[in-house]
Order: sequence, then C-alpha cells, then structure tokens
Amino acid sequence: MIKETWALFIREVKKTFRNKAVVAMMVVQPIMWLVFFGSSFSHVPSSFLSSFFNTTNYIAFLLPGELAASMIFVGMFSSMSMIQDKRFGFLKRILVTKAPKESIFFGKVFGASTRGLLSIPIMMLVSLAFGVVFHWNILSLVVWILGLLLLGVGMASIYSIITMRSNDWQTPGVVSNLINLPLMFSSTALFPSTIFPGWMRDISSVNPLSFAAGLGRSFVLNTPPNFLFLLYLVIFCFLFLGIGAFLSREWLKAE
Amino acid sequence: MGEITVDVRDLSKQYGNFKAVDNISFTVKKGEIFGLLGPNGAGKTTTIKLLTTLSPPTSGQAFVAGYDIIKQQKEVKRNIGWVSAEIILDDDLNAWENLGLQAALQGITNWEESADTLLKYFELAEFKYKNVGKFSTGMRKKLEIAMALLNSPEVIFMDEPTIGLDVGTRKMLWDLILLIKNEYKVTVFLTTHYMDEADQLCDRIAIISHGKIIALGSPSELKQKAGGYAVSLEVNDGFDISSLKQFHILENDKNKILIEISSKDNMLDVLKSINLEKLKSINLITPSLDSVFLKLTGSTIKETEEAVDYRKFYSMVRRNTQ
Repeated sequence: MIKETWALFIREVKKTFRNKAVVAMMVVQPIMWLVFFGSSFSHVPSSFLSSFFNTTNYIAFLLPGELAASMIFVGMFSSMSMIQDKRFGFLKRILVTKAPKESIFFGKVFGASTRGLLSIPIMMLVSLAFGVVFHWNILSLVVWILGLLLLGVGMASIYSIITMRSNDWQTPGVVSNLINLPLMFSSTALFPSTIFPGWMRDISSVNPLSFAAGLGRSFVLNTPPNFLFLLYLVIFCFLFLGIGAFLSREWLKAE
Repeated sequence: MGEITVDVRDLSKQYGNFKAVDNISFTVKKGEIFGLLGPNGAGKTTTIKLLTTLSPPTSGQAFVAGYDIIKQQKEVKRNIGWVSAEIILDDDLNAWENLGLQAALQGITNWEESADTLLKYFELAEFKYKNVGKFSTGMRKKLEIAMALLNSPEVIFMDEPTIGLDVGTRKMLWDLILLIKNEYKVTVFLTTHYMDEADQLCDRIAIISHGKIIALGSPSELKQKAGGYAVSLEVNDGFDISSLKQFHILENDKNKILIEISSKDNMLDVLKSINLEKLKSINLITPSLDSVFLKLTGSTIKETEEAVDYRKFYSMVRRNTQ
C-alpha cells in the first residue's frame, strides 16, 4: 500500500510541477491576494487595526488566513485530477494492477496537499517584503505548517469523496464554489470573529479554517500555539482521510 | 499444450435489461493466441472487463491463470497484462516513468533490467526519456504492450489492438503479437472485429454476436464450416450449362454461375469441362471468416455493426426526448 501510494503521489507531484503555467499561477495567486486584498486597510488608523486585528499591519493578520484559504482551494485539484484519470482511462489502468484502491485516493489527496504547501514560503517572503515582522518561534512555525498540511489533506479528502463517483469535468468547479466561499467567509481567515453575528461566530468556532488560521497567528503575533487547535485539525484530517479510504474501496470502479 | 490458461464457465453480464455477455463458456490454452471476433457491441470489451476483474460478472465463473476472477482478484491481476482499445498512458511522464509507475503498481522490484530489455526489443530504447505525449500512435501502443509484459504475465489481454491504426503500424503490431507469443511464451487473448486480423494471428477464434458465442475453432476449421472453395463464372449467352453437371451448382442466375469445389485445384477441372469461348470471367472464391460470419448470423459484420449503431442511436434519441 505504501509503495503504491508513494508512486501515485510522485506522479501527481511530477504532473503538477512540470506544468509551468500551474507553477506560475501557484506563485502569483497568493501574491495577488496579499497585495490587493492585504492593502485594502492601508489607510485605516492604526488604533483601529490594533483593536480589531491585534496588529498594526493587516497583512500580518491576513497571511495565516490566506494560507489556510489556499489550502482549501487546492482540494479542488485532487478531484480534478481524479476525474481526468477517469476520463482518459488511467483509472482503469491502475485498477487492472494489484494496487489497492485506497492508494489511488491517498495519492490524489497527498498530491494536491503538496501543491498547497508551496505557497507557504512564497507568501511568507511577500509578507516580509510588506513589512511584516516574524519572531521566528520554531515550535509555532512547525505547528502552523503541520496544521496547514492537516487542513489541506482533510479538505482534499472531502473533495475527493464528493466527486469520487463523478465523471463530469464541471463537478469540481461547482463543488468548489459551493464549499470554499462560505467556508472562507465564515472563518477567522479574513476577519476576527468578534465582529461576526452570533450564528456566524458559531460556524466559525467549528470551522477548520479558523483553527489553521489561529495556529498561524500564534507564529505571526508571537503568542504560544494552541495545541487544542492542532488536535482538532488532526481529528478533522484523519476522519475524512479514513472515510475516503473506506469509500474508495466501493466507489472507485472502472464503469 | 493442453494446459488451460483461461477457463470461462457460463459467464454472463447484464446491464439493466441488456445482456452484454450471455452465458458464454470457452477455454484458452496456454501459449496460444485466442481471438474473440465480433462486431462492435457484441460483448467483446465486456468479456475482457470481466476477465481482467474490472467489472464483476452477473453470473457464472471464470478462472484466469488458475485464479477465480471473483474470489482471487489480486492473484488474477498479478498474473495478467492488459492493453486497452484506447491508448492509456500518462502523457506528462516519459516512457521510463510510465514503466516505473506500472512496476510500482504491480509491486515489481528490480524491474529496470526487464524494462530496458523490453524497450530494446520494441525499438523504443532511444526514446526512453522522451515524454510519451510526443510519441506516435505506434510507439504508444508498443510502450503499452511493454508495460503489460513488465510483470511477466501468464496471459495478456488486448482489446482491439489494431483499431484505428494505419496499415503499416497494424502489420508491425501483428509481428509484435506473434513475437510475444513466440519469444515471451505469453498466452494472448485478443478481441477484434477485423476478419483478416483474426485469421492471420489467432490459433483459435470464438465468434461472438449479441453476447453469445456462436462458433469456436481454428480459423481453418471455421472456414470449413462455412463451406469450401467456390468458383464464380460469368458466361456469355448460349453457354452450355450441362457441361457443368458433374459439379455442385450453388447459384445460376443470368449468366452468373457459382460452383462449389472441394479444393483450389478443382478449378482446373471446371476450366477443362467448359467451352472457354463462352466464358467471360472466372473467379476463385476462397473461404474466409467473413463467409463464416455471414453463414452463422445471416449478415456480414459490417451490417451487424450498422444495426447495432441504429439501435444505440434510437435509444439515445428516446432518452433525450423523455
């Protein structure tokens, strides 16, 4: 199982990183987020920023949220890649080998999550350029990156589960629009939940994006990381990874 | 010989009300090239799907390389190679990476040496690190076959191996299939709707029509079933038909006469007994699988395919208007 998963994972990574347009887009898109969205609070008085965002630079607040958001967006690529393999028959090729079906699912999920990790160093560099100061607490950094990875794997699992039985190119896009935007806006990724109405604060308090963003803010704002957030993301990730692995045995078929 | 590689017993596959494969039984002997011949929609691809464990049968049993296709799927998969009708490769990877992926999925260690040998054999060695997306169709097909052979299978399943290929590539592939049989001693199970392909390549052929096997035997056996050689004559008015009374006349229609003969050489006897001045043309008709199919089903493969397409077309139209 591990060898087959590794081989399929490497295939996904190669396919992603050999496509120059994809790599360019992965680099440019997060930069545009920070540059355009991050600059929207530039002329707001710093007293306002401090009271609402606990920092005088909105980009410092946005960086963890935007990275968490980019991890949920990569989920879409796992289902797109799966549907492509179905349409071109490559799934059949794998199914005629003795590779377990779970490894097909794992390969897609880990492949897509890896794609998301690339934006971490890029966005950190861009933030530095915009005057964000990091305190380089290594523990907080490791916990944050781990949290992002768990979020990415969990989200990619959810995507793969939803589209596992579909053959339609359009499904991942439809699902993406359905899931991503509400998930992003009902989290603390872009704004603190203190300004939310009560019902949205409730959603935000169970939204995995909030937890990943929270872990990032511990690093950026130099506060001790909340390990309960990490635990929550571990449960979130392995729950959906497990469900996906279980369903792939039944749902991944040649017809 | 004598050993059996594929053993199919009363196998059926039903999709809704449509019986794609209807209670078929046959055996494939070790080391032979076995062909499943029939028009599109006859159940050839479905049969391959069942035998490669891609799809579960509705009823019946089958054993591939000695393993049950229902209960021992992993063992079946480990012992087979599969080449689909459409070419399935990862175009973003090069030939070597495609082979490596296949090896990893089949759990083969030390695959590099046999992969190198296969590439050399198939004249692909110099394109080892070239992206498969840039390969010609013939090269892609060859690479697929190399991948199917990588796990040293007992039997290799080829679904319509030469569909859509030009004449030269087709000939190349025929030679390759014979090479697989002779050099690698692998049993080949192929499907085709080309009569000449089945005739030239296969040791034994099963003819399938509407999901049922309607004839099985070696090409020559099957041809014999369809009747032997025949001579068709075109004659001028005033031809003396009684000069042919020693022969079996199959048809006699407006100066066109069809006579059955037992062997090719008997054509000379026909020539000797008639008045050559009244003869316009003479033609030897050799038995072919076409004539077998015609005799067994009452229609040629081409007509059957057209009929099948109409059926599909109408069902499609119906679905869209409901």
